[in-house]
Amino acid sequence: MYQQGVGEFKYYVGISSLAQIATRHDRVCVLNILGGESSEVTPVGHAWSGGNVVFGTSPGRRGQVLETAAGNIPVYNSVREGLDDGHRFNCGVVYLPPSAARDGVAELIRVNPELKKIFIITEKIAVHDAREIRAMGQQHGIDIFGANCLGVADSWNQVRIGGALGGDSPSDTLKPGSIAVLSNSGGFTTTIAQYLRMAGWGTTTLVSSGKDVFIHYAAPEFAFALANDARSKAAVLYCEPGGYYERDAQFTKPVVACVVGRWKAKLTRAVGHAGAMAGGDDDAGAKERWFMEKFGVDAIYTPDNPVFSPKGAVVTNIAHIPAALTAVMRANATLPDFAPEGTMELKPWFGANMGIALPEKLDLPVVAAPEPYRAQIAALAKQVGAVFPREPMKDTSGASKMDPKTQVSSLNGTSVLEAARLPLEANVGLAMLREAGGENDRKLVNVALAAHMNLHGDPALAAAQAAREAGNAPNAVLAAALSIVGPKRAERARAIVAALIERFHEAGLRDALDEEFGVGGLTEDAALAELVLAGEPDPLAEAMLAGLDARAARSVFVRYLRSFGRPVNADAVLAAVTATLAWGPLMRKRVSRLSVETLPWWMKLFGALIGASADAAQHRPDGFCGIATATLLGEASITDVACRALLGRTPDAADRFAFQTLVGILLTNGPGTISAQGAKGAVSADGPESPQRVQLNKALVGFLTHTGYAHGGNGFEGVQFLIGQFRDTALADPADPAHGLDLAALARGYAEDYGRYKAEAKASGSADLQKIPGVNHPVFKDRPVNVDPREAFIRELMASRGEANVFHDYYRALVQALFDSGVSRTVYCVNIDAVIAALLLKLTWKPWRAGEFGETALESAAFTVFLYARMLGCAAEIDDHLNRGRNMDTRTAASACRFVS
Amino acid sequence: MRFADFPTPEVLGPDASEEAIKDLIERHGSVFVKPVFKGGVGKKGKAGLIGRAKDLKTALAEKERLYFVEHRHGNQVSKANGVTFEAAVPAEHEVYFSITDATQFRAPTMTLTHCGGMDIEELDPSKIARIPFDPLTGLKAFVVANALADIGAPKEIISPLVQQLPKLWELYHDFGMTTLELNPIRMRADRRGRLTPVACDFKCGFDRDDPRWHRLDLPAHLFAADYSDFEQEINQLRTHQGQSDVYVINERGTILAPTFGGGANSLVTEMLGDDAIISSDFGGNPPYEKMKSVAAICFKHWLAQSNVLFVIGGKSNNTDIFETFRAIADALREHFSRNGPTPLYVVVGRGGPNLVRGMGVMRDTCEALGLPYRLFGFDSAMSEVVDYAREVNEWMKTGGRDAIARKLGIAPVAA
Repeated sequence: MYQQGVGEFKYYVGISSLAQIATRHDRVCVLNILGGESSEVTPVGHAWSGGNVVFGTSPGRRGQVLETAAGNIPVYNSVREGLDDGHRFNCGVVYLPPSAARDGVAELIRVNPELKKIFIITEKIAVHDAREIRAMGQQHGIDIFGANCLGVADSWNQVRIGGALGGDSPSDTLKPGSIAVLSNSGGFTTTIAQYLRMAGWGTTTLVSSGKDVFIHYAAPEFAFALANDARSKAAVLYCEPGGYYERDAQFTKPVVACVVGRWKAKLTRAVGHAGAMAGGDDDAGAKERWFMEKFGVDAIYTPDNPVFSPKGAVVTNIAHIPAALTAVMRANATLPDFAPEGTMELKPWFGANMGIALPEKLDLPVVAAPEPYRAQIAALAKQVGAVFPREPMKDTSGASKMDPKTQVSSLNGTSVLEAARLPLEANVGLAMLREAGGENDRKLVNVALAAHMNLHGDPALAAAQAAREAGNAPNAVLAAALSIVGPKRAERARAIVAALIERFHEAGLRDALDEEFGVGGLTEDAALAELVLAGEPDPLAEAMLAGLDARAARSVFVRYLRSFGRPVNADAVLAAVTATLAWGPLMRKRVSRLSVETLPWWMKLFGALIGASADAAQHRPDGFCGIATATLLGEASITDVACRALLGRTPDAADRFAFQTLVGILLTNGPGTISAQGAKGAVSADGPESPQRVQLNKALVGFLTHTGYAHGGNGFEGVQFLIGQFRDTALADPADPAHGLDLAALARGYAEDYGRYKAEAKASGSADLQKIPGVNHPVFKDRPVNVDPREAFIRELMASRGEANVFHDYYRALVQALFDSGVSRTVYCVNIDAVIAALLLKLTWKPWRAGEFGETALESAAFTVFLYARMLGCAAEIDDHLNRGRNMDTRTAASACRFVS
Repeated sequence: MRFADFPTPEVLGPDASEEAIKDLIERHGSVFVKPVFKGGVGKKGKAGLIGRAKDLKTALAEKERLYFVEHRHGNQVSKANGVTFEAAVPAEHEVYFSITDATQFRAPTMTLTHCGGMDIEELDPSKIARIPFDPLTGLKAFVVANALADIGAPKEIISPLVQQLPKLWELYHDFGMTTLELNPIRMRADRRGRLTPVACDFKCGFDRDDPRWHRLDLPAHLFAADYSDFEQEINQLRTHQGQSDVYVINERGTILAPTFGGGANSLVTEMLGDDAIISSDFGGNPPYEKMKSVAAICFKHWLAQSNVLFVIGGKSNNTDIFETFRAIADALREHFSRNGPTPLYVVVGRGGPNLVRGMGVMRDTCEALGLPYRLFGFDSAMSEVVDYAREVNEWMKTGGRDAIARKLGIAPVAA
C-alpha cells in the first residue's frame, strides 16, 4: 500500500534529516504560479533562495513570465510542457484553488518521475481530496507538506519553498541558529522565529505544517528528522487542538511545545484553523498532557512558575517560548546562538493621546522601531499632507454631497445651511482647506483675495470688458478674464509654497502662528531666498505686508519674509499667506500637499473672478469699487467688497448678511449638478494623474461654461415673478416690517388669477402648465402642509437676527392662498429658489426702484451671486478631482450612450 | 441511506397521525420515540432522551415529553423541535460501525464492533476493530471480513455485513462527509433466519469545504443552526482567498478584535475572554474590498458598544498590511461619516509586508477621527499587546470612554 521510506514508520517518509527539507539543490515547479498569492510571494522566495524555481504553470498562459529580482520565471500551460522544454525539478508547489489542488498533485506525481516533495499552500481543500492526496503520495513515495500551510524555509541554506515564511524580507527573520520550528500556524512560524531571534536564538529548518485534518508532514516525522539533523539542537512546536500527531512523536532533542486553544472547548464550531475543534481526546488539554508526560514536567511553564526539564517545557503563550527555550537549553548546558537582539516589551511605533489624559500605565511613549522600519517611519514622517487613492471620480465627489432626504447639500462636511452663517472669506477656507478656519485665517484670506481683485492694467480686465460689451452673460465674461490667469501667473508662488512646506516641515514647524518659532536659520537658505527676494521693492508685496500689519494678522511665514529685511516679491507674500492658512490642515492630513501648492493660484483666480465681475471703470490705479487700496488690503472684508462689486454701492449690514447667506446656500448642490460636471470634466480632460499639468483656470472656465440662463441664471425667474407682484405696490424698503402692504390680499389676488389661468389652460387641453417659480418641490410634497427645510432654516436664521423680508413673507402667504383658493390640494412648500429670489430682490430692490438698476443688471446680479458662490463649490470639486481622479474618468462608455433619430 | 441502498427501519415524522403510529406499533411490536435536534447531538439514549412505546398511549406521552426537550452537553444546549417514531427492529445482534479520517493512521478508518448499541468507549478494545484503508480503492469487502474475523464476530452476521457495509464508503466519500456513524445496526432476521443489517441510528458530519454534500439537497436550515445575523453576514463573504471565520463570544463584550491568523486568533481569544465581542480570523491576505466589507460589517454590528478597536496579528507572511489596514481604516472612516463618532481607543499589533505604510494609514485615520491610539510592531510580544488592550478597556470603562466622548464633542454613551 505504501512505499518503504526511512525510519520505522507505518507509512512512507522519505526525509531523514531536517536539512533535506529545503536545500540549495532543490528545484521547484509552482502550479498556478501567476495566481494572486503566488505572484506576490514566489518572486520573493525565488530571489532569496538563489533562483530555485525552474518554471511554473498556468493553463493558457504559456509564454508569459513571472518577473522576479533574480530573473524571469517561465510559465507553461502544464507540467508536461515544462519538462518537454528541458526543465527538471524535484519539488512541486501547489497554489491551485481548493477544487483543483488534488488534480495538481496527481499531475505532478504522474508526469514527473523525479518528484520527491510536494508543498501544498492551498487552504480549504476538502477532506475527501486530502485523503486521496495522502494516498497518492504514499503510493509513489513522495513527501507532502501541508496542505493549508505556508511552506518551508531553511535559514542555513537560505532557501524557502512554497509559501511565504519570513514574509517579504525573509532574512529579517530567518537568521541561522540551532532551533527547528514546526508550527500548525503559518503566520506564527515567522512570528516564533522573530521572537526567538530577539532572545538570541537562530533557526535551522522551519516547517509550516498546516492544520487540516490531514497533516501530511507532521510531528512524528519531524521528530525523526530533527534527531538526524546535526545543526538543530532543539525544536519549538506550535500546536493547536485536533489530531494525534504530537502524541506519536518521539523526541530525542529538547523541545518547547506551545499548545494553544483551550478556549476552543467553548466553541461549537470551527473558528480559525479548520481541524481545531473541541470535543474528543485530542483537544488542547490532551496535547498539554502528552507533552508534559514526554518532558517529565507537571505544569505549564510561565515566567512566574517556570516549570521545565532538560527534555523540554510546555507553554500556552507564544511570548513565553523564548524564555522557556533558554531555560531548557541552560539545563542542557547550552547558551543562545547569539546575543539577544531585543526585548519583547511593549514598544509602540506610533501613538497619540489626542489631547486626552491617559493613566500612566497606558501612556506609553513612542519608541523607535528597529531597522529597516525606523528608516521607513522616518520617510513616512517626511510625507506631508493627505494622500488620496486615485479612482474614477465620474459623478463622485470627496468634496460635496447632497443628502437625498433633506436635499441639503454639504461641502467638505459642512452643510450649506451652516455655511450660510459664515462670511465669504471663511467659505474660501472651507472649500479649499476643508475647514472654515478662525479669525486670523479670515484676515489672511481677505488680504490674499483683495490683493488680486483690482485688475487695473491687467489684460484679464480688458478681456472681461470686451466680453461684457459683446453682450455675454456674466459667466462668459468671467471666463474670458480667468482664461488669462494661466499657469505661468502662479508658477513662482507655487514653487515658493512647495519650498516653504519642505523647509519648514524639516525645521519642525507644527503651528504656523507660533510666535516663538525661530526662523533665523532658514533665512540662510540661499535657494529659498532666491525665490522670495525681489531686486526692487514690489508695490503689491509692500501693500500686502502693510495690509497684514494693519490687520495684525499672525504668520510664521510672513515673519520669515520680514526677517530678510529686504524687499520680497508679491508671490512670496501670497505664498506665505497661503502656507499659513494651509499649515494646520496640511499637518492634520486634511489636505494634500498638492492642494496647498495650488492654493496661491486659487487665490489669484478667486480675486480675478470677483474683480472681473465689476465693470472696468471700477478698477483704478488707487483702488477698487471706490475702496482705496490701503483700506482694501488693510481693513475690508471680502464679503463686503464682493457685495459692493455686485451692487455697485456700499452695502449695509442687512445687505451684507443677505449676500453672505446667499453665497453660503448656493455653494454646492453635489457632484451631479451641471456646473460641477463641467468643472470635473475640465480636470478629467487635462489628466489629474499628472496634476501639475491641470489648468485650474481652465477648470473654472469649465464650471462657468456649464452655467447659464437655465442653471444659475434661473434665480432671476423668481426675481422677475416677485417684481411682477410688487411692481405696482408702494413698497419702499423690503426689510421694513412696517411696509404697510396686505400680503395676504396680494397673494389671494395672484392665487385667484393663477387658478383661472390653470382652469383655462386645462379647458384648452394644454398640458404645458406654467409653474409658479419658488413654489412646491418634488421631494417636499404630499403632506398637508409642506416645508422645505432649507427655507425653514433661513427663515429662522433671519428671524433670530430680527431681519424682515417682505418677499419671503409674500411667498409664505402665497402658498397658503393657493391652498385656500383651491388651486393646490396641499399647502405647497416655499422652496429654496424662492428664498434666493427673495434675498436677491431684497438686495437690489432699492436701486431697481430708483431706476439705477435695469432688469438686465438685475438678472446679471442674480446670476453673478450664484457664480461667486459656485466658484468656491466648484473649486473644491476641482481640487478634489485633481487629488483623487483618473485621466478621462468622466467619460461615458459608448455602450451607455444612446442614439436617437 | 437510500443513496447507498442500505436497509433502514420505517420512520414516521412528527406530524404522523395516531392511526399511522398505531399501525407501526402493531406491525413492529414497539416504536422508539426520538427528539429531533439540529446539528449533531450524541448520547441521547444515555440522557434519557429516547422513549420506547409498545402502545399508542405511551407513544403519545413520549411525544409530548420529548417534543421540545433540551439536551445539555457541556455548555452547549440544544433544543429539540419535533420527534420521530421509529419502528423497533427486534434483533439479537447490534453492530456499531463508523468511518472517519483518523489522524493516527492518516487514512480513512473503519471502526467496527459486533457489540454495538452502547458507548463504544466502554468496550474492551479487543472487541473493536479499527482498520485504516486505502481511499483510492475504498472500503473493500475483505477489509470488513478480516476485521470481523479478528474481533471474533458471530459467524452469522459476517456475510450480511460484508455485503452491506462497503456501500457506506460510497456515501461517506462521495457526499463530502468527515464522519459517518451507524449505531446500532440491528441484524433483522427474515423468515428463514437470514440476517439483514438495518441502520437504526445514523449520524454524519459534513465537510464545509467540500461541495459534494450539496448533492444531497439537504434543507439549509439544518446547517444554519444558530448563526447570528452578524455571523451570517460575514459568512456570505466566505471565499477562497482570505479567511472570514467569526464566532460571537460575548454579545455584550467591549473589545472588538479583528484578528489575523489562526494562531493570533487562538492567543487573543484565550486572553481576552469575555471582554472580546468576537473571535475571528481574517488572515490569508484578504483583498481590499473583502477586508473592507468584513470590517464594515463588524463595525455596523459592534462598534457602538466597543471601547477598544483591537487589530491584532503576528508577523504576517503574505498578508499585505497596507491593503488590510487601508481597508479597515476606510471602513472606520466611512462608519464615522455615516453614523457619527463613537468613543474608541485603537490598539494595533502587527508585522508583515508593507507594515509601516499600513500603520501610517491607521495613524492618519485615527488622527483625522480624533481617536487616541497605540500601534505596536512585531517586536512587542503579542500577549503584552493583548494585555495592553485589556488595560485600555478597563480604563475606558472607568471614565476613559467619557473623556474621549467629551473630546469628540458627543454625549457620553455607555458601552
